[in-house]
Amino acid sequence: MNTRSLIRIWSLSLGILLGAALPASAHAGSTRLLDTGSFAQVRTRYAHKPLIVHIWGLTCGPCLEELPRWGEFKKQYPDMNLVLIQADDAPLDAVRSALEHAALGGVESWSVPSELDEFSRARIDPSWSGEMPRTLLIAADGAVTTVRGVADPARIARWLTLQSVNTK
Amino acid sequence: MTTHISKPTGFLAPAGFVLCMGLCLNMTVLAQSEPAPMQHHAQADSKHCTGTGLECATAVTPAFDAHNNLWLAWVAGGAVSVAHSINLGRSFKGVTIVGSYGELMDSGADAKPQLAIDARGHAVLAYGVFKDKAYNAEVLISTSASIWAKDGPAFTVPRSLSVDPASQRFPTLAFNPDGRLFVTWLDKRTVALARQNGQTQAGAALAYAWSDDAGKTFLADTIAEDHTCECCRLALAFDPERQPVIAYRAIFPEHERDHAVIRFGESGRALPAQRVAEDHWDIDGCPHHGPSVAVTTDGTIHAAWFTEGSARQGLFYARSTDHGQRFSGPKAIGNMAQRPGRATLLASGDSIRLAWKEFDGKRVLIKEQHSTDAGQHWSNERIIGETHHAADHPVLIAHGREAYLSWMTHDEGYQLIKLQTP
Repeated sequence: MNTRSLIRIWSLSLGILLGAALPASAHAGSTRLLDTGSFAQVRTRYAHKPLIVHIWGLTCGPCLEELPRWGEFKKQYPDMNLVLIQADDAPLDAVRSALEHAALGGVESWSVPSELDEFSRARIDPSWSGEMPRTLLIAADGAVTTVRGVADPARIARWLTLQSVNTK
Repeated sequence: MTTHISKPTGFLAPAGFVLCMGLCLNMTVLAQSEPAPMQHHAQADSKHCTGTGLECATAVTPAFDAHNNLWLAWVAGGAVSVAHSINLGRSFKGVTIVGSYGELMDSGADAKPQLAIDARGHAVLAYGVFKDKAYNAEVLISTSASIWAKDGPAFTVPRSLSVDPASQRFPTLAFNPDGRLFVTWLDKRTVALARQNGQTQAGAALAYAWSDDAGKTFLADTIAEDHTCECCRLALAFDPERQPVIAYRAIFPEHERDHAVIRFGESGRALPAQRVAEDHWDIDGCPHHGPSVAVTTDGTIHAAWFTEGSARQGLFYARSTDHGQRFSGPKAIGNMAQRPGRATLLASGDSIRLAWKEFDGKRVLIKEQHSTDAGQHWSNERIIGETHHAADHPVLIAHGREAYLSWMTHDEGYQLIKLQTP
């Protein structure tokens, strides 16, 4: 068994121990492996709340250029619900390191255990063909607005403002 | 460089075998042993198969040799392996691990190892491997002087295709009808140069090189085009003048990642790029989805590609009868609701076949259409492959007068599926 498998099993066990029942804040930090039920649990946890899901990849140049901007954005909007999904077949320590570097180390983060196939992609977003980065802006009523490619922070800010107006 | 010892988990690999990260990788000893033939329907026994054997392969590339043997190159468990079949893929023998890189192996969605064999039995294998923590990659190449040698093909220790220190990925290679080897790849050297000069440049460059000795040595690397999507596979075919035709996802201003073809002049040098279609897919990101290209004997260039542009979304086909100057209006392929993609084109004489992948929520399907008049008229689509779990992208391959679908699936294992003659 290689090191990565060990890390994965360890992380998976940790994920099971922590469980999905914990409050959202308990899921911050420390990237975990996305399994078949993880994303549904994320959606359940944030049901009736605005949520931003940002999908990125460690081997995707534009994603890496963009990532620190999400770190800055999170500083500006510390209360926003942000979940990160790293979607390349990449080691967890490298994912965590990239997130720390982008000041996103404290954000809820998931990473795929192997290259995504049609089935695993559909569990996250049935209309996703695999391009990255990709950002899902999920309103409290469940309506999803998709941003393909690097996101314009002004657009995300407008969406966030609209969500706070809608929920007041 | 780290060296570690691990026990191969592929059931064909002999025990006591040293796998290395990096370059100590000529595993010819494997070819000397004759393990039991692999079963046709070798199945993975777990969701995440981690061995290096064919049963765990996520990306498989076929090639026929002149003696009717089917050769496969595949990526599994962080390694690149080669084996051959004397019975059209029912069983494989002589499994050889050519290189093992663990998590540094490029196993991205659009990456496949490349394998080409010429009429004299020279073989060339190429693939991408990440070389640093910043995920810069290099293209490694390994050759066999004779795949028919009594002691096995003896693939050479993989070496870097280019001496340039910038990142290189997505090699595509083939022998032209004269036996010259052509290889093209995505190269970050011009992007790195722009950065040194304080400028930002998106994407990568499209590089190429020729070899007159079946990959032992290459003539100079040349940059054909400088605004190429950095994360999509390239497609390669040869025209009736035996010159390469490359289809690729370009970056047109500002961020339009649409398709183009590059043809080559008599001198063997690249001509200016020609746009296939104005899809207007404006995305500052990685589509991870490259095109396919083929040329029929009448010189018609056929292209198939995926886009989510503002002009159209889905899988499309177009043809050019004037050397790529103008392409026909894009024709939508497959069932858009089932997200068609991953096209593969195969030309034979004036016949052309197109196969692609769809997903209906429960099944991955491979569908096919064909034309016997160089793409003027097409058959109705039909299903030629179906599976209920993960599956590699389809590859169409010709052998003699027959055409086959080469396909690796999680449930069924490797399959070589003979297609009906149109």
